[in-house]
Amino acid sequence: MTRRFWVFIEQDHGEMHPVAAELLGVANCLVSEVADELKANDEEAVVEGILVGHDVDNVAKEALMYGAERIYQVDDPAFEHYLNRPYAEALTHLVKKYKPEVFLIGATTLGRDLAGAVATSLKTGLTADCTKLEMGPFRKIEKKLLLATRPAFGGNVIATIVCKDRTPQMATVRPRVFETPVRNPKAKGEVVKEDFKVTPVMMAANLVEFIKDKSTSLNLEYADVIVSGGKGLGNSKGFELIKELADELGGVVGSSRAAVDGGWIDYAHQVGQTGKHVRPKLYVACGISGAIQHKVGMQDSDYILAINTDPLAPIFEVASLGVVGDLYEVIPEMIQQLRAQKGASA
Amino acid sequence: MIHFLVSVKQVPDTTNIRIDPETGSMIRKGVPAILNPYDAHAVASAAEWKKKLGGKLTVITMGPPAAEEALQECIEMGADRAVLISDRAFAGSDTLATSYVLAEAIRKIDQEDHIDLVFFGKQAIDGDTAQVGPGAAIRLGLPLVTYAVEIKEVNQEEGYAVIVRKTESGKEIIKTILPAALTAEKAIAEIPYAALPDLIASLNFKPEVWSATEPVAYDVDQIGLGGSPTMVAKSGSPEAREPAETINVQEHGVSATVETVLGKMLSNTTVAALLEDLK
Amino acid sequence: MSKEKLQYDVIVVGAGMAGSTAAAIAAREGLNVVVIERGVKPGSKNYFGGALYTHALVDIYPDFFDRKPPLERPVTETGFWFLSNDGLVKATVQGGVVNNDPIDAYVALRSEFDLWWSEQAAAEGAFIIPKTLVIDFLYEDGKVIGVQTDRPQGEVYAPVVIVCEGVNNLLTQKLGLIDHDIKISKTALAVKQLISIPAKDINARLGLPDNDHGMAISVMGDVSMGLAGLGFLYTANSALSLGVGVTLDALQESGIKPYELLQRYLEHPAIAPLIKDGQMMEYGAHLIPEGGWTAMPKLYTDGVLVAGDAASMVNALHWEGTNMAITAGKQAGLTAIEAHKKGDFSAKSLSAYQDKLNDTFVLQDLKQYRKFSAFLKNHPQFMDIYPTFINDALGMFFTGFGKPKRKLYKDILRSLTSRRPLFKAIGDIIAFGRSIIGI
Repeated sequence: MTRRFWVFIEQDHGEMHPVAAELLGVANCLVSEVADELKANDEEAVVEGILVGHDVDNVAKEALMYGAERIYQVDDPAFEHYLNRPYAEALTHLVKKYKPEVFLIGATTLGRDLAGAVATSLKTGLTADCTKLEMGPFRKIEKKLLLATRPAFGGNVIATIVCKDRTPQMATVRPRVFETPVRNPKAKGEVVKEDFKVTPVMMAANLVEFIKDKSTSLNLEYADVIVSGGKGLGNSKGFELIKELADELGGVVGSSRAAVDGGWIDYAHQVGQTGKHVRPKLYVACGISGAIQHKVGMQDSDYILAINTDPLAPIFEVASLGVVGDLYEVIPEMIQQLRAQKGASA
Repeated sequence: MIHFLVSVKQVPDTTNIRIDPETGSMIRKGVPAILNPYDAHAVASAAEWKKKLGGKLTVITMGPPAAEEALQECIEMGADRAVLISDRAFAGSDTLATSYVLAEAIRKIDQEDHIDLVFFGKQAIDGDTAQVGPGAAIRLGLPLVTYAVEIKEVNQEEGYAVIVRKTESGKEIIKTILPAALTAEKAIAEIPYAALPDLIASLNFKPEVWSATEPVAYDVDQIGLGGSPTMVAKSGSPEAREPAETINVQEHGVSATVETVLGKMLSNTTVAALLEDLK
Repeated sequence: MSKEKLQYDVIVVGAGMAGSTAAAIAAREGLNVVVIERGVKPGSKNYFGGALYTHALVDIYPDFFDRKPPLERPVTETGFWFLSNDGLVKATVQGGVVNNDPIDAYVALRSEFDLWWSEQAAAEGAFIIPKTLVIDFLYEDGKVIGVQTDRPQGEVYAPVVIVCEGVNNLLTQKLGLIDHDIKISKTALAVKQLISIPAKDINARLGLPDNDHGMAISVMGDVSMGLAGLGFLYTANSALSLGVGVTLDALQESGIKPYELLQRYLEHPAIAPLIKDGQMMEYGAHLIPEGGWTAMPKLYTDGVLVAGDAASMVNALHWEGTNMAITAGKQAGLTAIEAHKKGDFSAKSLSAYQDKLNDTFVLQDLKQYRKFSAFLKNHPQFMDIYPTFINDALGMFFTGFGKPKRKLYKDILRSLTSRRPLFKAIGDIIAFGRSIIGI
């Protein structure tokens, strides 16, 4: 009996989404966690990827390099642009055919659109936005189950969810929650082409036009340095100062949910549980109180500097270093001193 | 007459949840229950289009009796009919069970009065899973457009709608045959300020109440705890971390504080390497 | 969508303590009453320390306690705390006269209580419209015949309007019942935190025998950093409410920010241990009318009555505001009923409201205490020198072991006279007495 641990390989017009690589890494961890069971039952476990698209052979090859033993690939011109129905039907068909035990999907816009539909078709359980995944015992059940941990109630509670009695056990994970595994260009693995017919009924909704967003040079999730602004800025103009500091540190601008809700900055910059998860090397939180929904999105940063007038702000609980003061005083001074330092060494 | 249906949820206002230190459970006292913001915008959009096209708007919710308030808000915004699907048997439903309950209710309403477009909010701010909309849509066999930020056109005669969907990389303009389903972003419509007579009507309004047996005879194995494959294995507070060292600007002055801060940052190897690269 | 005119017998503006009371009294008599409240729910815009006074509550509902109202702890111990820079003198009373049945005051949380209070009014038949702001009046022949709300199709008609709009009395000003906006010298800003602490810890830290005992404390001294103001401490069931209120002009002149005052209070060495490990549940602020008699608008005109904070009905020294609002609300409701019986809503007819209030503690006390708020402002020594002196005096007295007592008493006296000449201190006490007696 082969135990299959599946990862949906998300791609956008021939480019693999990095979250797929991250999930392949997770899947391999999960497999190692059941090594004892495999041995005892003389079974095998494999990490495999599911790829749906049109003319995406290169993506299959790329996915193999991040730890998939095998990629099942479905190709049809109808899959060129993502659409909910045909993709969901294709995945459902493959799951029914191969019966994987665990199925992971990235919690991107596409992934979240897709996962709920697939899980419902399969009448199985799905846990969204997981921050931790492991195989572990649950009550008296013989086989280890997927223990999916996620923050609930805005992050004030950390809950571990199991899906018992149904397979596959499904979970979505936001990008950057897990690390990218090492890329192995020499990886050997097979690509299995699967047949799937897309019927007209599935194409009831169709893409008419795609308008690319010109301002997507923002790559928050993979930035090394992020300077974020929050409610403490007081207004949208404050983000000019944030940008200045970000530029000085070679980073990008992030924000808390409060600032986005206040209309001061676009949602694309939102860091947090319902925004983006980030794990930069340096995260500077300015005028951000550090409510749990925000903390959850950035607490894995390597170094966190927090600036806030309130000494009791929860952000100081995750910060590596805190400054209790007015960001409108501290940040200009920081910029000045940083420039001086650069100037001195130039 | 065109018929829109919006499925809504009443949620605790999770922007300020607190956990009771003594019991470990959420303090519900003083936390207002609100109409899920994304659902509110969906209702506003449906009401706008209903007025434009001279149609009808039905809202439904699965929830406890208190969810009646959320339905009242929908009436205030212009809904014509509201159904509260409430029964103890639904308690403990996860997203799979919830999408089943809602889908069957929608099916029943559709039987009497054909529905052209079903709206959901993008996600509920308590669960934040965004699974119920897609789940219900696929049960009903409806084409689905998620993350809808604008409805460009609804053509009842020819049976199609044009909806704008927002993704990370841009906007997709999707044309879909009706009936269809969408999940709405806040941008889809602004919440209107209701006229006083509409507000008064909503205050006096009582929704229809459906149970787990009437008028829809739900399959007991697909609702509530029994119909929910996922369950909470354990829950607890997140681990408390050591508070960081903080430097107070009032004590040391801005200049000295920043100097100290930069100094400490540079003593961290990761940050030092980063700042080195900048030069 | 109804095109009919919205016509009622009485319109009440504001579903706070005054408004819901006026509405209940009028509705009880069978009048068709509508209450228009700007908050999402009644209570969402109301805030105080604080404690409610039983006499007023049972006056409106004799079976008040049987209705299981949402109250926090009864006030079984009350009094003054005098804070010096790092010291505290407690002067409280418990038992004896305080131990009444029922207790005279209960700590309450306004968002819950005011909602419940409005539900009692609804049960009497009043119709409450929330989320709607009254922005102006409707007139006919110079008389008020209704109100204009901020909603489309938002005209509401009634021959009498009872204005209970609260401290920011814009409508009262619009009517010309007062010729100026609220004055910063006659309005205080109070900020507070509600800090959740397990009930047994509250009991242990404050020396309360059990959860059925509670405290309401007026705090004077260091809490307002020399500015005209007072602090407070109230015990909710499992939370402490601590705050401080200072007049707006004092805040403006000093440049001190309200949250700085509050933070300082919470960090005071005698206060901090009381809230140790507590979790802040609420952080809020509200204006309080302090001018009393001197800031009072005219209380009536053709078709209009004014009650509660909008009419400056607060006695700062005795922390009485909510009971004045309830009492005034009741009298306004009764006046409206009479006016309907006579079919006369003119100012002359409605002047009966003021006559009724003159017979109650409301106007009597406001008149008596008319000099008090100015008094505090003009005598800052009551906020800094005297509380500090009380701390020093008692402290020195009780640590004077082995000291020749003659010298000790001289030292104690000097700790006063070095800050304020004795004759001036005596004068202050006389002035204080006069301000509260009203002469």
